[in-house]
Amino acid sequence: MNPSATEAVNVTDKPGQRRGKGWLLLVPGMLWLLMFFLFPTVQLFFTSLYDPSGSFEQGYAMTWHFQNYADAIKETSDLFVRSFLYAGITTLVCLLLAYPLAYAIAFKSGRWKNVMLVLVIAPFFTSFLLRTLSWQAILADQGPVTGFLRALAILPDDGRLLATPIAVVAGLIYNFLPFMTLPLYASLDKVDHRLIEAAGDLYSSPFTGFRKVTLPLSMPGLVSGTLLTFIPASGDYINAELLGTPREYMLGNRIQSAFLVEQNYPLAATLSLSLMLLVVVMVILYIRRSGTEELV
Amino acid sequence: MAQSDGEQRSGAPRDLHLTEVSKRFGDFVAVDDLTLTVPEGAFFALLGPSGCGKTTTLRMVAGLEDPTAGTVSIGAEDITGLKPYKRPVNTVFQSYALFPHLTIFENIAFGLRRRGVKDVKRQTDDMLRLVQLEQYGGRKPAQLSGGQQQRVALGRALINEPGVLLLDEPLGALDLKLRRQMQLELKRIQTEIGITFVHVTHDQEEAMTMADTIAVMNSGVIEQMGAPTELYENPRTTFVANFLGQSNLVSTDVVDSSGSTVIVDCHGQKVGVDESRSHTDQGKGWLGIRPEKIFASQRDSEDLEDGNQLTGGVVSDVSFVGVSTQYLVRMPWGQELMVFEQNTGQRQSFKSGDEVDLAWSPQHSFLLDADQDAAAGAVREDVG
Amino acid sequence: MSKPLSSQVSRRGFMRGASLSALAVGGSGLLASCGTEGAKVEEGSCESTDKSESEQEVSFSNWPLYLDPIKAKDTSTLEKFEQVTGIAVSYDTDVNDNLSFKAKVAPQLQACKSTSRDVFVLTDWMAAQMIELGWLQELDHANMPNVDANLLDSLKSPSWDPERKYSVPWQSGMTGIAYNAELTDPVTSFQQLLTRPELKGKITLLTEMRDTMLFMLLMQGADPEDFTDDEFSNAIAELQKYVDNGQVRRFTGNDYTDDLKQGNVAACEAWSGDIAALGNPKFKWLAPEEGISLWSDNMLVPNLAEHKTNVEKLINFYYEPVNAAKLAAWNYYFCPVKGAEDEIAQFDKSAVGNPLIFPAEDMLSRGYTFMGLDATQDKNYQAQFNQVQGG
Ligand SMILES: Nc1ncnc2c1ncn2[C@@H]1O[C@H](COP(=O)(O)OP(=O)(O)OP(=O)(O)O)[C@@H](O)[C@H]1O
Ligand SMILES: [Mg+2]
Repeated sequence: MNPSATEAVNVTDKPGQRRGKGWLLLVPGMLWLLMFFLFPTVQLFFTSLYDPSGSFEQGYAMTWHFQNYADAIKETSDLFVRSFLYAGITTLVCLLLAYPLAYAIAFKSGRWKNVMLVLVIAPFFTSFLLRTLSWQAILADQGPVTGFLRALAILPDDGRLLATPIAVVAGLIYNFLPFMTLPLYASLDKVDHRLIEAAGDLYSSPFTGFRKVTLPLSMPGLVSGTLLTFIPASGDYINAELLGTPREYMLGNRIQSAFLVEQNYPLAATLSLSLMLLVVVMVILYIRRSGTEELV
Repeated sequence: MAQSDGEQRSGAPRDLHLTEVSKRFGDFVAVDDLTLTVPEGAFFALLGPSGCGKTTTLRMVAGLEDPTAGTVSIGAEDITGLKPYKRPVNTVFQSYALFPHLTIFENIAFGLRRRGVKDVKRQTDDMLRLVQLEQYGGRKPAQLSGGQQQRVALGRALINEPGVLLLDEPLGALDLKLRRQMQLELKRIQTEIGITFVHVTHDQEEAMTMADTIAVMNSGVIEQMGAPTELYENPRTTFVANFLGQSNLVSTDVVDSSGSTVIVDCHGQKVGVDESRSHTDQGKGWLGIRPEKIFASQRDSEDLEDGNQLTGGVVSDVSFVGVSTQYLVRMPWGQELMVFEQNTGQRQSFKSGDEVDLAWSPQHSFLLDADQDAAAGAVREDVG
Repeated sequence: MSKPLSSQVSRRGFMRGASLSALAVGGSGLLASCGTEGAKVEEGSCESTDKSESEQEVSFSNWPLYLDPIKAKDTSTLEKFEQVTGIAVSYDTDVNDNLSFKAKVAPQLQACKSTSRDVFVLTDWMAAQMIELGWLQELDHANMPNVDANLLDSLKSPSWDPERKYSVPWQSGMTGIAYNAELTDPVTSFQQLLTRPELKGKITLLTEMRDTMLFMLLMQGADPEDFTDDEFSNAIAELQKYVDNGQVRRFTGNDYTDDLKQGNVAACEAWSGDIAALGNPKFKWLAPEEGISLWSDNMLVPNLAEHKTNVEKLINFYYEPVNAAKLAAWNYYFCPVKGAEDEIAQFDKSAVGNPLIFPAEDMLSRGYTFMGLDATQDKNYQAQFNQVQGG
């Protein structure tokens, strides 16, 4: 804020001259990244430039066909938009649901804390696929939920939940809620209750205290929670596949069918990389904006 | 709120009153029927052993805890039911509770901003100057030393010019040297600003050096309240006698309480106690003498006209601590009494096994009700 | 904010690490930067050894609802096979549609690696592709005398495997329409399936391009056994319309029966035998007015499968009329085995003359098989079809 303060900070932050072999600690991580991130990404990048007129049977020739990107994005722009829209709604709703939940677990659950945490992660004990399949049954046209909503005239008599955008987004929300809840909980649990008392002592109403103290202190959890939700949700295809129709399909569906059904590797690689790139850009912008780097 | 502070201050004195306040946690009584008044502008110390209810008392004043019974008021205004953020009271927390995500400047400005005060910048800069942290405004709390953090906590509370400032063992985490320095600084600031300080501590020396008035608390009740010298020279209970400094307590029988000096029989030897310091006038009583008030002399060498004397002691232990020598003297009835002799070089020194008589003046002893435990308050945490 | 740790690492050390990784990545990049080989396995380049002598086992991948229940004591044909031959069969229903099953095994087969399966069942056109790709082992007819004796003449020499060197039919069948009689009136044509408003969002189509597009082409008045690119594109455009307006709920593999059973779907494109095998009279199957799609699914032995002789024994077993009859009486698909009809009369009179098992001539005359496609056509059509499915 003022120049002398920044100077003062640097005094405490002396670069370690004696670190010596410290970089060795980076080796396992670097190797890991190399093997499981860099290597596949480079592969994917090359694959995305194959001649699109090849086929799995005849092989794909490397023609450095950058045009693939323009073609793919033009062809699937609606899927990109829909993926980010669904992922965005999912993230927002997850945040609205998970924040009070994490807050209650961190501050109000008392001796039930561990039980509640186990309940939050309990869905992970069954597979993602099975859980989504059971949502198929829950939301089925002849199922209890649909029947109930029809009885209340919230849904028209021939209305349905399954195979609608609502079902897809609900499935996404359900599946990613723990990814939002856990980091939020971890952050909130670390918030010293005495700080909230101190805010109250300093003329903050409970709401202002929340806004000025609890919320900023939970930002790291909020940011990681939204990332952990948004990133996988934008690439998800299981929910759209099982709970939606082709009209709800997301980019992930196209990628999976390009990879696994058509074996159109250049298209699949192009779409995967484009999605990755877009997400990375969004994440960087988001982190910049939320200013998490400055948080303690 | 700020305006109403001003109005109130110019009118009736803004004394802090606690009236018959109790706090129970389940069956446990943390504060028991406590009544006290802290005059406006006073430096008031709440002194007591760990767990005696000091923090609970402060929290009730701050509004962070609801009293089970009784009322808290400032001046004429009953604040018992008022939410913390509506009270003209600020707290310096035992743990400081600085906001880690805000700069020092913003920490200090926090209360001003919440109250919508206009010239935040000027006031905050002034406060930074007062607590001598001008160049640290841009840092985060984690980048400050313990003493600096303590000053931020102080500034953050002080800047609101509260009716009452509550300090909950703010110096507890500091090393001795820094603590002494901060004690002086606190005292200076309090004198400068002139608002009421309620300072909680379990360090009796700290309480005595800083406070105008000390309340000694024990198990949820106030044992005695008064000026530091008053409490030290004329304790009313064995707890206070032992908790503030050290005391020799000797079992006696009251012989005559009709005159200005109460005469007691101490294992066959008669001694006198000022009437103003006698807190019992018949039956048994504890005769209290501070170790530094006792003169030891070689047996039968001195004969004090109007002093008190106990004869027949034998020195059982000698420890030399520089400024003084501390003796343990075994009396004929088996009790060991403590005697501190200043090393002025004027007085004779003794060694173990020497036979001595002990003497003191009647104004320097006190007489307490024998119903109390002579050891109450004697076992304390080692302070400093 | 402190500086990133890497800036504190000695430059030399870091550069060493960096160049190392560049090397590794460069290496991997070289691999991928050349493009991919074709998937074809040249004859003789991927020889399999047969361990049938020493290992009395077979691993069998099939479609759901295609084999009478293994669990049923005394009646299970598979159990009978195990008892008679002493060969243990591990049976999986992991074929949901041809393309995704191919995608599952392609990485191994193209690289001449084992798929851990000894036999799987795929539709004619996919069988043809795999023969073309050299992914299959040649069968020894000496071990399967029943096949030569009992295979229906009409199935003996398809154009893509004229001597049945690589494939033997498991069952044949028809694609038509199934509906839930409790939820809808009979749906007798594809036209109705795709246009009746009360069915909106309550129908599914199959992910098998040849099945679904055959009907779309028929609806367009094109001949699915002989059509042009334009006709196909028009049919695709028509299909897209019904996807866009929400008439079509989903595209499914063999899992369409789930939606049907749950009542999410009132009518759907369906394979003939599945509906009978569901065993509930409210589910009906019928041949659409436009025609029907005819196909066979074939048992195939992939390269490096180690129990080919055991598989041949299995095939021989199911070509014994009595066993074929038992199977057909359960799965209600066309039985490719001569003499099964006589056998079936022994234990299930109702199945005799059942048109699903023993199709009548007039039914077969309305049947179509999808035009044979070359690789380019296949890729092109499949891409268009996937585009519709993928939203
Ligand atoms: N929330 C609570 N629930 C139950 N008991 C409590 C609670 N808060 C305090 N107590 C009890 O009340 C008593 C007084 O506590 P308090 O915090 O006031 O002590 P203190 O005098 O401040 O001690 P210290 O000097 O150690 O800070 C203690 O015995 C404590 O265990
Ligand atoms: Mg305390």
